[in-house]
Amino acid sequence: MSPRRLLALFLAGLLALPALRAAEHTLTLADSRGRPVADAVVSLHPLDQPAPPAAQPAPEITIAQRDSEFVPLVTAVRVGTAVRFPNEDKIQHQVYSLSAAKRFEVPLHSGATAPAIALDQPGVVAVGCNIHDWMRSFVVVLDTPWFAISGRDGVARVSAPPGRYRREIWHFRLAAPLVTEITLTDDDAATEAVSLTLRRDRHPARREPGADATYP
Amino acid sequence: MRFRLRVLLLFVSLVAAALGVMLFVVNRSAEREAVAEIERRFAGATDTFGQLVARQNDQAAAFASLLAADYAFKRAFADTDAITLESNLRSLLLRADAHAIAVVMPDGATRAAVRRDGRRVSEGLFSPLVARADELEADRAEGCVWLDDELHEFVLVPLLAPELVAWVGLGRRIDTDLAADLSQRSGLEVVFGRVNPPRVLGSTLAPALAEAFAARPRDDTTPSLGGERFLVAAIDLPDLARAGASAHVLASLDARLAPTRRLQARLLLAGGLLLAGALGAAVLFARSLSRPVQALAAHTRRIAAGDYAARLDLRRRDELGELASAFNAMSAGLAERDRVRDLLDKNVSPEVAARLLRDGHALGGEEREVTVLFCDLRGFTTLSEGLAPPELVTLLNRYLDRMSAAVEEAGGIIDKYIGDEIMALFGAPVAAADSADRAVRAALAMRAALAGLNRELAAEGRPPLGFGVGINTARVVAGNIGSHRRLNYSVIGDGVNLAARLQTLTRREDYAADVILSESTRAALVSEFPLRDLGEVVVKGKTRAVRIHALG
Repeated sequence: MSPRRLLALFLAGLLALPALRAAEHTLTLADSRGRPVADAVVSLHPLDQPAPPAAQPAPEITIAQRDSEFVPLVTAVRVGTAVRFPNEDKIQHQVYSLSAAKRFEVPLHSGATAPAIALDQPGVVAVGCNIHDWMRSFVVVLDTPWFAISGRDGVARVSAPPGRYRREIWHFRLAAPLVTEITLTDDDAATEAVSLTLRRDRHPARREPGADATYP
Repeated sequence: MRFRLRVLLLFVSLVAAALGVMLFVVNRSAEREAVAEIERRFAGATDTFGQLVARQNDQAAAFASLLAADYAFKRAFADTDAITLESNLRSLLLRADAHAIAVVMPDGATRAAVRRDGRRVSEGLFSPLVARADELEADRAEGCVWLDDELHEFVLVPLLAPELVAWVGLGRRIDTDLAADLSQRSGLEVVFGRVNPPRVLGSTLAPALAEAFAARPRDDTTPSLGGERFLVAAIDLPDLARAGASAHVLASLDARLAPTRRLQARLLLAGGLLLAGALGAAVLFARSLSRPVQALAAHTRRIAAGDYAARLDLRRRDELGELASAFNAMSAGLAERDRVRDLLDKNVSPEVAARLLRDGHALGGEEREVTVLFCDLRGFTTLSEGLAPPELVTLLNRYLDRMSAAVEEAGGIIDKYIGDEIMALFGAPVAAADSADRAVRAALAMRAALAGLNRELAAEGRPPLGFGVGINTARVVAGNIGSHRRLNYSVIGDGVNLAARLQTLTRREDYAADVILSESTRAALVSEFPLRDLGEVVVKGKTRAVRIHALG
């Protein structure tokens, strides 16, 4: 690369500076009793400009089937991401989704033979195994690059350029996503605490020998 | 009231009262027992109902859970249109013991619902159930839902794919079948009803009774349905209450009392027989009492009529027998008294007899002024010559009879007969102020009676009789004189002797008098009598001269 081109690039970089500058939005999520909420997806949807295009070629993620559980439980991806379901168990699994965002079915399979599934619509894809009722995984397909998943401490950090956003907080135990309009500025370093009203998790417990099948 | 009737009434009323009290007590205790038993069943019915409904809901939930876990059903739910899903549900309903099946969205909207009878299901009926389950965070949504005019108990379980995408569940109609099931378990009649307006949803009662029950006042817990008495209790089923429906259990008090009624009928029959028996016994008893009493009454009437000879034989050893013996003793006593009185009348003057009977022995000595008359028969010796003794007595009695009658008619009494001599008293035992007049009148009457007798004797060709009469008035002692065993009422004293002496004076030719009375008698006379003064005479045994008079 010639020095002229490098200079040109640098200038272009300077011009693009406002877009490149990033503000960090930090949220602390807790339930109504103050306990930290993990596995919540916080996403920022720009209101003043279109979201930057997704990377090409489409990235690929995996949701493993390990010890008859999906790992991880919650995944957040951009539209266009493909997902693979490698089976690490000795037994077979049949992975399906009946969600409107992506309806698919991966017949009984072992190993890494399952084909990648392209998630081409925004929305929540609830994934299950139709021979093991307790297995589940959620893939939140987003139309924005700015999102994060809360950790065990309930903290989610999203870095995004300053501007106005529609902030969505999703959790599988929320009756509906929590939507707020926020404005990010350069020097925004504040941490916002959000209290979430979680529903009961109507999910069948994994059947352990000698235990009754019931909800947790 | 007659004695027999009274005994009868007493027996009958005693038996009837005992019977009545017994029936009353049996009735009361049986009714109490029946009410208590029904109430025990009522108390158990709420539990029974709750358990049955819970079990049915568990079964429905188990079926729905299997259905919800079926992947093919999940796909059918996710992939197919409403018509296809309904068709699928219709097919599934055939496998289930239910009247309706429904798939409900998490927001309560009805995705698809099918009834066994093919009728349509309106929209939005299930949202209260789902909302309640969400609120309670319950494992399943359950409650009563009106499908048209029919009430169904629905149980909905979550359809997980793998998260909640819908509720799926079954409904069982609250109807007569359920009522019959509950009735069988509780032993009670069961009625399900809509509260407003009142309508029967299902019942084990006959339709007419069920309608009567629905139309009863709400707070009437002891309604009479079709003439039968029932006890009612409401069963607390919250699902029903929330849907504006009710469940009641009923028991017929009359049906429960039927065995008691039969017992009572038998008791009544037995009591009737007992009563008839008692009636018969009472009749017999009354007769056994009243017959001798009537016999006694008849006997008393005979005694009153003077028949003392009759005797009563009741052949009884009880009190009535004793009474009959006492009556017989009384008859004997009366007969004896009558006989004594008769004899007394013949032997003493009626006045003395009456006074004796009245006063007993009270005729003790008393001094009083009396007039004593002695009459001696003359010419009887001549007359009695050639007469047999009976004829003699007959003739004497004929004479004495006339004389005595004359004495008694004049108010005197015959004191005694001394052979053919008569002693008569005037002014005793009953005092009389005119005893002298009576005596003189008696003498005149005796004279007339003798004349009459002599005319008869002359006609019989017999010689005439004559008499001599002496009369004296004096104070004498009068009383019952004699021994303890035999008493005579009589008078004693000088005056009596003088009268007897004056009588003997009539034999003197120079006096030519058949009746001689003393000066004291003359002085005592109230009326005027033709008297002839015979001068003074000293009678035998006396020292003082006595003036005497002849009755002209």
